[in-house]
Amino acid sequence: MATNGMSGYRSGLVDLATGQISREIFVNDEIYAQEQERVFARSWLFVGHESQIANPGDFFVSRMGEESVILCRDRAGEVHVFLNSCRHRGMKVCRYDDGNTTVFTCPYHGWSFGTDGALVGVPYFREAYHSELDKTKWGLVEVAQLARYKGTVWANWDSSAPPFLEYLGEFRRFLDLILDGWDGREGQAELLGGVQKWLIPCNWKFPAENFSGDSYHNISHRSVDLVGVGPSGKSRRDYGELNVARKLHVAIPDRGHQTITYLLPKDHLPQPSYQNNPEVAAYFRHCEEERRKRPGPNTRLIGAPGEIFPNVALLPRQPRTLAVWHPKNAHQTEVWRFFFVDRDAPQTVKNFLRDYYIRYSGPAGMTEQDDMENWNYAHAASRGVIARRHPYTYEMGLGHAVEDYEYEGYRVPGRVIDITQIQSSEEPMRNLYGRWAQFMEADSWDELMTWRRNTPHAGIAAK
Amino acid sequence: MSDGPINIRALTAGTRVVLVSGAEAEIVSNPNDGVWIFARYVSAPDAPALVGQEEMIFAQDVADVRQ
Repeated sequence: MATNGMSGYRSGLVDLATGQISREIFVNDEIYAQEQERVFARSWLFVGHESQIANPGDFFVSRMGEESVILCRDRAGEVHVFLNSCRHRGMKVCRYDDGNTTVFTCPYHGWSFGTDGALVGVPYFREAYHSELDKTKWGLVEVAQLARYKGTVWANWDSSAPPFLEYLGEFRRFLDLILDGWDGREGQAELLGGVQKWLIPCNWKFPAENFSGDSYHNISHRSVDLVGVGPSGKSRRDYGELNVARKLHVAIPDRGHQTITYLLPKDHLPQPSYQNNPEVAAYFRHCEEERRKRPGPNTRLIGAPGEIFPNVALLPRQPRTLAVWHPKNAHQTEVWRFFFVDRDAPQTVKNFLRDYYIRYSGPAGMTEQDDMENWNYAHAASRGVIARRHPYTYEMGLGHAVEDYEYEGYRVPGRVIDITQIQSSEEPMRNLYGRWAQFMEADSWDELMTWRRNTPHAGIAAK
Repeated sequence: MSDGPINIRALTAGTRVVLVSGAEAEIVSNPNDGVWIFARYVSAPDAPALVGQEEMIFAQDVADVRQ
């Protein structure tokens, strides 16, 4: 797989038959430019949470791929996502992180847009434009599709993409693990505090791959486990329930989403957790008991790191966060991490979780620092002309996934590898890059919606 | 006519301003972006039809503030 001298993407860089992937897809500037168009301009991307724009006029400046967008609630209460760029000469019309406004005014020439995106103010409209400019044609550029799901807001630039829930497919239940209340009530999550944002010198796919379900890198976090940053003062999480559950790698092959998940035995009782604070421990024990009384597929699932294609990472349990890997260029990623708590949780619980989340995640979080160091140096050491000649291996567990995994009456969707005993596999990564390659090669969403053709493994995965 | 540029961010609802066209308008609200104010025309010698209408007024069109 010598690839020096190549320009952009070509078929074969992701070789799932042998489990080898070229380093070019991480470090090549032309491939990066191509994936902005073919991946980020066509995928559903996480934009923000409704609690960030609770009132009319509220806005939150977010990102979709490299581009700045404005998530806002207009004066009539409707939610919009706009490209943060004036239609006249392109200047950002909003340079704040968030706030409340009646208009977005471009500081360059003064064009002004309502919170519904309409162009409402044009300096010298009567005099210089002779009232001839058709303002209705020059409003802010709005996304082609917007979806609101249990408080989260997602957007897509491509009108031909499938609706968001179809895009999620069977992965929906894993997203629910972070958005539903700990006691199982629907959509109880609220954002805790602001969004942590920072830069990492690596390609966005390094963190995306890691959060897809890299259970092989736990040795990196050995020091954190020894320190005991977890909510019971041991290790970095509570492992009481995890140790009796089946640990699974789950990949939804026709969507590109994948995760680690834990599946509890039937009739399993809650285990002690959050032992550093009696009130917090009692809250979670109560929630776990309530959760077990509810019908539905999630009562026996425990969330763990997962990834919604292409760049949204889930960590539903300890800590309960969602991260977006925003691409800045081929060699730099801007991370945005959102933290969640139960809306109705006592303030003591929220305060306890804030402390735990900060210890674990974010630029100063001890576990996240371990990861960043790995991604930083892996990227840097893969950029040279010699390094690029040598692919990475993703052979672990190749050919060992099953599609009808069931444990004590619970059937898990997608391709599954039970890693309870074998510790790890690279099925999630193969799934991520298989889908990524499909996006890079497909000219339209018609080609990408393989499930509608009833051929779930068509495309790159079969090559 | 004011001696220099007017800081329209400091103007509050109810304030009357004179425009370079000679029209006069009363501020309805101020988005505080330093570029626009929302105002209702109270007189407009060159365009009487504007009287009573509410429009966005550009900062550079504001010539003076009625005391």
